[in-house]
Amino acid sequence: MRQIFLVLKREYLTRVKKKSFLLATILTPLVMPAIIIAIVYFAGQEKESRSDKVLVLDESGYFSDAFDVTSFEFEYITGDLESAKKQLLDAGAFGLMYLPKVDLSDASVINYNGFELYSKTNPSVQAMERLEADIRNTLEDIKLQNSGLDPTVISNLRVRVDLDSFNISESGESQESNAQLSFAVGYGTGFLIYMFIFIYGAQIMQSVLDEKTSRIVEVIISSVRPFQLMMGKVLGVGAVGFTQLLIWFVLIGGLSTVGLSILAGDGAVMEAASQQVPQEAMELTSQQEMAANIQAMIATVPVVKILLCFLFYFVGAYLLYGALYAAIGSAVDSIQDAQQFMFPIIIPIIASIMAMFFVLDDPNGGLAVTLSLIPFTSPIIMMARIPFGVPDWQLALSMVFLIGGFIGTLWVAGRVYRIGILMYGVKVNWKTIGKWFTMKV
Amino acid sequence: MNILEANNVTKNYAAHKALDDVSIAIPKQSIFGLLGPNGAGKTTLIRIINQIIMCDEGEVSIKGEKLHPKHIKDIGYLPEERGLYKKMKVGEQLMYLAQLKGLSNAEARKRIKHWLEKLGLTEWSGKKVEDLSKGMAQKIQFIATVLHEPDILILDEPFSGFDPVNANLIKDEIFELRDKGATVIFSTHRMESVEQLCDDIALINKSQKILDGTKRDIKNSFKSGKYVVNYKGSLNGLSTNFDVLDTTVVQDDLSESMLQAKAGQLPNDILKELINLIEVHSFVEVVPSINDIFIDIVEGGKS
Repeated sequence: MRQIFLVLKREYLTRVKKKSFLLATILTPLVMPAIIIAIVYFAGQEKESRSDKVLVLDESGYFSDAFDVTSFEFEYITGDLESAKKQLLDAGAFGLMYLPKVDLSDASVINYNGFELYSKTNPSVQAMERLEADIRNTLEDIKLQNSGLDPTVISNLRVRVDLDSFNISESGESQESNAQLSFAVGYGTGFLIYMFIFIYGAQIMQSVLDEKTSRIVEVIISSVRPFQLMMGKVLGVGAVGFTQLLIWFVLIGGLSTVGLSILAGDGAVMEAASQQVPQEAMELTSQQEMAANIQAMIATVPVVKILLCFLFYFVGAYLLYGALYAAIGSAVDSIQDAQQFMFPIIIPIIASIMAMFFVLDDPNGGLAVTLSLIPFTSPIIMMARIPFGVPDWQLALSMVFLIGGFIGTLWVAGRVYRIGILMYGVKVNWKTIGKWFTMKV
Repeated sequence: MNILEANNVTKNYAAHKALDDVSIAIPKQSIFGLLGPNGAGKTTLIRIINQIIMCDEGEVSIKGEKLHPKHIKDIGYLPEERGLYKKMKVGEQLMYLAQLKGLSNAEARKRIKHWLEKLGLTEWSGKKVEDLSKGMAQKIQFIATVLHEPDILILDEPFSGFDPVNANLIKDEIFELRDKGATVIFSTHRMESVEQLCDDIALINKSQKILDGTKRDIKNSFKSGKYVVNYKGSLNGLSTNFDVLDTTVVQDDLSESMLQAKAGQLPNDILKELINLIEVHSFVEVVPSINDIFIDIVEGGKS
């Protein structure tokens, strides 16, 4: 144990003391939100400054103020379609909407066709839907009025509905659920594991390879068992990853708490100051409300459970793949030679990340359950499922399999490693690795 | 007393036998030369002693006990293929290696200081290994091997990479360690250092031990009864007990001859005869060098 710890300590300290580690660890949580904020900011900027003009040829006259002016600037024109098309090409407009005369006298007709949108570039799906809704609403209003209803009655007939979804547990407790948030948490944690396997797996491999090529390995294994050396290395590099993750969590958590409270606090102060200006006050309370909403939303996901599971799957995935990376590092003489052996290891990781989208779509489907039990895919897939709720037995089974999985890979890797590190200039293929695995020491 | 014994050690690899029934006994506080051409099985034997690999058959014992993980602390191993962590500072590196051998922090620090001073490397303690010259790195490596004051030192080609001055320095350290009680196993194919250093030797060739014993006994057993005489006068009239193999004139009236004595003839018998015939200036028995014996055996084994 002391030996493993000494190796671990060296691996850990030499990495943590590097400037590149400090930079990546401290800058990432600062830079990432900055990038996101920048994207959101510029997207907002673009929307406001958007001056795309849509020409409207309204033959019926029904649509004089039917459209939402925040999405486009609408200019009503007259004439026939041909001249309108020409006008579209001449003017710097984005599109032309042709709304032919419609006959609304027969209330039983429900399909109205012939509305056309001409544009130089494809309009977004969102824009199309909004325009369609505007046209539909206008026609509906007119039909309702024609049927003798008062416009105020009509607007009173329109209701707004919010569907809140809840998760109900077996004990009957219900908890508000939030599909979007579950998606985000599932995706985020799964992706973190994916990222760390790649980054730190490669580091283990590099570290093993360095010891092999610098030939210090034979000195080391005259005082440490090869398996101890490998374990110390895997754990040491893992501890570095863990430290990084912890710092990220603390920094991001701290920053977002500060951010939210500033948002909320700001609202309260401003609200008091702006009593005389009711409208402004209303806007500010909505901002405050938003902050509170975010906090409430976070409370809907089982944070502790997710954190504990994340911890487990993070460590499990890391050990499972870390061992394999160590074995590859021991088998080859250079990083180029490593490529051919990386492939089968990378496949299940990539497959997990690709399957994750289907899993997030159907978190309790057959694919999701199967992949969340197989140790090679379970860390990423199970993390994607957990926010949506996973039966305890599946979670337990998956964990047992994962423990078995990493014990298995550590054992296999250890057997390859003990031989591999002493082999120089050997042409290595899968057959030689198999031979090393079965070889007696 | 033997500090290390290997009895009938055999090690098979998939394609070949690396060691075939090899037995050696290494006396305490000796310098033991493990000789053999490349690929003979020396490194395999050393790795078995270091418990890096295990033998298929046979047994190795240290201080009379069967090989056990605790013996790792008793051995200091300087492999032929050696290296250090290039990016690590000299002091930290030595500390790490000492701790792996079970030294406490304080003890390790004291000994590292002592050794760095002794080999004149104190000011390099805070430098990274990649900034050191090859010779300096080799010295650091040597320090790492002896820091935990092992009873058995296994040095595989310890002088490779050293200039003659530093090689002598290391040689003196090896003698000093031996005098303090260490046993040194010295693996090499450079025979001149064997000649200077070793008390006992074993020769391994093609996975088998060909020869072992004290250096003197082995050399004596390879004597072939040849003598070189420097003399004035003529060898005419020498008895049939001797053949004159070769005669050269060294200086005016001074000659040198190589004599081959028949079996059973002692040096004194020859001298007695020679004194009656010639004026003897020098008389030397030809003792084969370890190098000659080595080449003789290895080449002989090939044919």
